Amino acid sequence: MLGVTELQDMYETMVMARHYEERLQEEYLEGKQPAFDISAGPIPGELHLAAGHEASGVGVCHHLRAEDSVTAPHRPHHIAIAKGVDLKAMTAEIFGRETGLSGGKGGHMHLFDPDVNFACSGIIAEGCPPAVGAGLDAKKRNADDVAVAFLGEGAIDQGAFLESLNLASVQNLPVVFVIEDNDWAISMPKERVTDVTNGAQRAAGFDLPGTRVDADDVIAISDAATDAIGRARDGNGPSLLEVQVHRRMGHFMGDAEGYRPDADKDAATRRDAIERLETKLRANDIDDETFDELRSRARDRVEEAIEWAKEQPEPEPSAAYEDVFSSPPSEEPERAPSVADTGGED
Amino acid sequence: MSSNTPRVAVETADVWPEDSDENEGVVVNWFTSEGTRVDEGDPLCEFQVEKVSVDVPAPVSGILDEIALDEDDEFEKGETIAWIRRE
Amino acid sequence: MARPEEHRQTERSLTMSRAMVEAIAHEMREDDAVFYMGEDVADYGGIFDSTEGLLDEFGRDRIMDVPISETAYIGAAVGAAQGGMRPIAELMFVDFFGVGMDQIYNQMAKNTYMSGGALSVPMVLTAAVGGTYNDAAQHSQTLYGTFAHLPGMKVVVPSTAYDAKGLLHTAIRDDDPVVYLFHKRLMGIGWLPAPDGPKTGVPEEAYTIPFGRADIKREGADATVVTLGLHVHRALAAADSLADDGIDAEVIDLRTLAPLDIETIRDSVAKTGRLVVVDEDYRSYGLTGEIIAGVAEGDLAALDAVERVALPDVPIPYARPMENEVIPDTDDITAAIRRVRSDE
Ligand SMILES: Cc1ncc(C[n+]2csc(CCOP(=O)(O)OP(=O)(O)O)c2C)c(N)n1
Ligand SMILES: [Mg+2]
Repeated sequence: MLGVTELQDMYETMVMARHYEERLQEEYLEGKQPAFDISAGPIPGELHLAAGHEASGVGVCHHLRAEDSVTAPHRPHHIAIAKGVDLKAMTAEIFGRETGLSGGKGGHMHLFDPDVNFACSGIIAEGCPPAVGAGLDAKKRNADDVAVAFLGEGAIDQGAFLESLNLASVQNLPVVFVIEDNDWAISMPKERVTDVTNGAQRAAGFDLPGTRVDADDVIAISDAATDAIGRARDGNGPSLLEVQVHRRMGHFMGDAEGYRPDADKDAATRRDAIERLETKLRANDIDDETFDELRSRARDRVEEAIEWAKEQPEPEPSAAYEDVFSSPPSEEPERAPSVADTGGED
Repeated sequence: MSSNTPRVAVETADVWPEDSDENEGVVVNWFTSEGTRVDEGDPLCEFQVEKVSVDVPAPVSGILDEIALDEDDEFEKGETIAWIRRE
Repeated sequence: MARPEEHRQTERSLTMSRAMVEAIAHEMREDDAVFYMGEDVADYGGIFDSTEGLLDEFGRDRIMDVPISETAYIGAAVGAAQGGMRPIAELMFVDFFGVGMDQIYNQMAKNTYMSGGALSVPMVLTAAVGGTYNDAAQHSQTLYGTFAHLPGMKVVVPSTAYDAKGLLHTAIRDDDPVVYLFHKRLMGIGWLPAPDGPKTGVPEEAYTIPFGRADIKREGADATVVTLGLHVHRALAAADSLADDGIDAEVIDLRTLAPLDIETIRDSVAKTGRLVVVDEDYRSYGLTGEIIAGVAEGDLAALDAVERVALPDVPIPYARPMENEVIPDTDDITAAIRRVRSDE
């Protein structure tokens, strides 16, 4: 059971993640109106915002430590925030700045923060195998660290996901797979492309526990995650968890969602996990003043990060040639043993 | 072609994306040029509102007499983007 | 069918995406065996407008949204093609080829040969390629050389609407697997503005452009620039800027990589003696080296100077200054042409 203080923490993180996406949306659209040119403005390229996914990132990552690993898909911000990725450096990365997480090489779909073991892939389901590898690493080290792979419901038809379930299962690895079901894979509703409506059913074929959380509710998600993460940490192997979330801002920025019925869009807006948690907290006698405090703290952190990021310098063009290798071929040490190594001379 | 036959304005209001609150658009592509014969319904050009692209069909058959808004020009909903002279 | 004169002027000009859609629609009307599979190709009309409007005319049985399962649906296209259908399968971004690569290079590309010619695989694999809009390392590659390197597939890269339509007719009618790579920046999409050039006159009737025939997009006597896709237009811009300085560059658009029209390039180099090869793919072990080797094998003595302009061997970075650094631009091409002319 989560205490009220924990719930307040979760609320604050969810508000932060939501506000972050709202602010990035504003920044992204700058320079893209009225003509939407994807390469214009302070944030170019594709941008997949996760408003409506907060309960998943926060409900799961609340139970993780810095040593635990997370891989996120193309829609990663809420997960990164909940995992404790450095917000300023992440924001600078999204703005393509020199002090960003990757010095501007990765961008918003490719956020990497080794300090909290966070990584991304923009290729659908391809974050799953590295998460299995992180679980393998923990097992080999005899550590009780766990690995969590986040993926969309559109990713559960990929070989990389299914193969990962099997490998994790047969090796009994500490891995949790979290499917964020927002009902859509870009324009494709899940009924059109996937055989099951409940992705957790995939677990049965790999002999591992599968749970689905129907409500977009951070408390229910957190409860399910507690079980799955606990199982992994105790050495009892992987689990599959599917959680219902909602896509509030289109697949990517600029998506007019012409394919999506209005009723579906409205329903997504109405079912707001943040409001749901607020109701719960009010029932626990949290007052307006506390809410104001939580919200403004969350917002201030976002504003501070964005302001900071925008002041950061752009990378030098020549930086493009760095980091292909961690030990560039030209800097490789001599292979021949030195005199000292041979013990010949001091 | 007689120059005193009436000209018909080509407008965008009819094809404006229904659920858009945005009143500004941008011309992105012309598919035909001034002086060309067009048939009613032929796509003349394409404009963009936010990230949505919309085709503008010729309202009548005739000769495309004047392109009022070129590619990349921004305009307000309701503005005339071209003129067709009926034959 | 009679092939209309190339570059014939029409009163109607089309963007590259519309020209492609017209070819697909035509072939689908003519032949019930043609169908299209891909992610977001139905209601969305393709993320890069490659199937815009086709769902309305042909319905979901023939314009098929498929699960995000590149291995399964590309392989299904192979099997259906072997059974007598003529599928078109779309990879949303060429960068995703890795997911379904076995079906592409071990099945699609080899089944004809391994069966000793007993079967054929009449399918088209379409894919969006290219950078220049800051989509970073996993969504910006062209990978031209990867596909052209592996035997058994014909590889097509159009640079104009006219070529796109004619080459797509040829691709769909071809009895072998064709990889058809269209550059996002050339499609004429509102949110990804194209340079001037890819939008051309396009005849309404069907026409085919044979594979293995490069197109001289600009004639010139002083240097030969060989390129493809987006960089045809950058090379043309470079050639125009040099014309003011009295340097007259010839620009050759490869149009197909396999088969490759090396003769047109050799003839041009025989005339100019100077060769610049421009590619939006990685530099090493790729198209630039291949073209230069092909020319050298033909007549080593014809080559007075050679330059290659390509992506350095680094993944494509996200931030603008770095992406601009690695993707060759018009100035890079201009400078390379000047360098091969520097002893004049
Ligand atoms: C292998 C691969 N195929 C296709 C894509 C293009 N793509 C990006 S996001 C997406 C939809 C993903 O849907 P889902 O997994 O449900 O995640 P959501 O966007 O709904 O969060 C697709 C098809 C990709 N990135 N990688
Ligand atoms: Mg989804």
